[in-house]
Amino acid sequence: MKRPSPHAPLLLGLLGLALGIGLAIASVAEFTKTENPTLGDVERVEQSLSTPSPSSIVRSPSTTNSEPVEAPPRPLWQVNEGPSLEAPEDPRRTPTVLNIEAIGVAAEIRPHGVDRATGQMDVPDNVVEVGWYEYGPAPGEPGSAVLAAHVDLMGQGRGVFFDLHRLEPGDLIVVQFDDGSEATFSVQAKATYLKADLPTEAIFSRSGPPVLTLVTCGGGFDSSISRYDSNVIVYAWPQADRQRDPGEVRST
Amino acid sequence: MRKLMLLITAMLLAVIPATAAMAQSSEGQVIVVHGVPDLDVDVYVNGELTLEGFQYGDVAGPLPLPAGSYEVEIYAAGADPDADDPALSGSADLEAGAAVTIAAHLQEGGEPTLGVFVENNATIEAGNARVTARHLADFGPVDILANDSAVFSGVTNGQGGDADVPADTYNIKITAAGDPATSAFEADLDLAEGTNSIAYAIGSVEGGSFQVVTAALTGLAGAPTGVPTGTAGLAADSAWLGVVLMGLAVIAFSGGAMALAKANR
Repeated sequence: MKRPSPHAPLLLGLLGLALGIGLAIASVAEFTKTENPTLGDVERVEQSLSTPSPSSIVRSPSTTNSEPVEAPPRPLWQVNEGPSLEAPEDPRRTPTVLNIEAIGVAAEIRPHGVDRATGQMDVPDNVVEVGWYEYGPAPGEPGSAVLAAHVDLMGQGRGVFFDLHRLEPGDLIVVQFDDGSEATFSVQAKATYLKADLPTEAIFSRSGPPVLTLVTCGGGFDSSISRYDSNVIVYAWPQADRQRDPGEVRST
Repeated sequence: MRKLMLLITAMLLAVIPATAAMAQSSEGQVIVVHGVPDLDVDVYVNGELTLEGFQYGDVAGPLPLPAGSYEVEIYAAGADPDADDPALSGSADLEAGAAVTIAAHLQEGGEPTLGVFVENNATIEAGNARVTARHLADFGPVDILANDSAVFSGVTNGQGGDADVPADTYNIKITAAGDPATSAFEADLDLAEGTNSIAYAIGSVEGGSFQVVTAALTGLAGAPTGVPTGTAGLAADSAWLGVVLMGLAVIAFSGGAMALAKANR
């Protein structure tokens, strides 16, 4: 039997040290991945959603000219119609079905509000449905329409948005509405945010260009509290005006 | 050169939202309420005819106006502001970002007056609605009940209050203070999420002109604080992978160190 080289333990030791350092770097990188998440046009999309409130976009013409010297005479104010004390009919179409062929999603959508106990968005109690934030815009309306679904649930397994993070820019998302119509959106960007850093003002914005925002959980998981540390966000724009500048504000 | 361009672009991007926010905050919102029965009026703001033929029960606004001080004069409809005296006049200060109600209304006893009230337009927690009640009628103190529980008690003429409640439809009643049997008003009101629904009680109960008119300050909704969408950990990437990698790192490192120590012996 051949005697091993006297240098073998030294080489093995150096190799071990190098492997150890390499793995340590990799594990640190893995831990911090969620803090540097941007991909695609995330910042552009979010910036377009976090500017003026509707009251300053929809302004009456009487306020645009404060110097009346050359300006035409200011129109008189209008008396409000009504006054109506009853609940108005909600004229919006409601999203009912979500189809994302790229990740095999075909799911029912139901309206959800706010969980009073936590102040968080109320979400489905099952892994098969998608929740639409009913106080925000419907998909295709100005602002960010939020569709949230589980990545997984204890005891129920994988959720309808388990593969949400696999979506890539250009993938198509089709939303069906209660009036039989449908709208197609094209993925623009995706991001992973630590929950503490979630840009909720942009994600739940009710003004700005129409953006469809899909939300689920991801990142690291703390099994002691059964909680992920991050949210996975996918932004999509109406397919027809994909080329539109997100900075442009649609006034209604 | 490329770096400079990037820097300039970054600076421009930083400036744009700031100016938008400034333009927004130099304005306030004004609601005008006509609560004096049997009197059609013209409303002049800073000497300019602003509302013509304004009638009892009419509400105008909220309308955006530049912040500043406004002289409000109310003339009988068709009166000549250069020759006639106004029926009511007063001034209102509008602060940037604020919302103000200017109301011509009756005091208890029936004397008309011009009231200016600052409305609460602070952000409303997601899922909630705000309701504001203002007693501008010729009537004694009132209680205001939502779904039969008192929200405001003993409100006298010229007073009001606001409360944030879960967005829903509520049965609203106005009764004489402490006397739930004397209902002056009852209706189902839709209190919309993110909106301050303002109810003004106007007119005279005795004269039969008592009514409630409303205005709404919208766009006050806050965002939910988060989206809890997973509890099983099946999709977790970093946590377990990180721990496994860290464990391997420790084993490899100590193994390597031991081998080195052995070699040097």
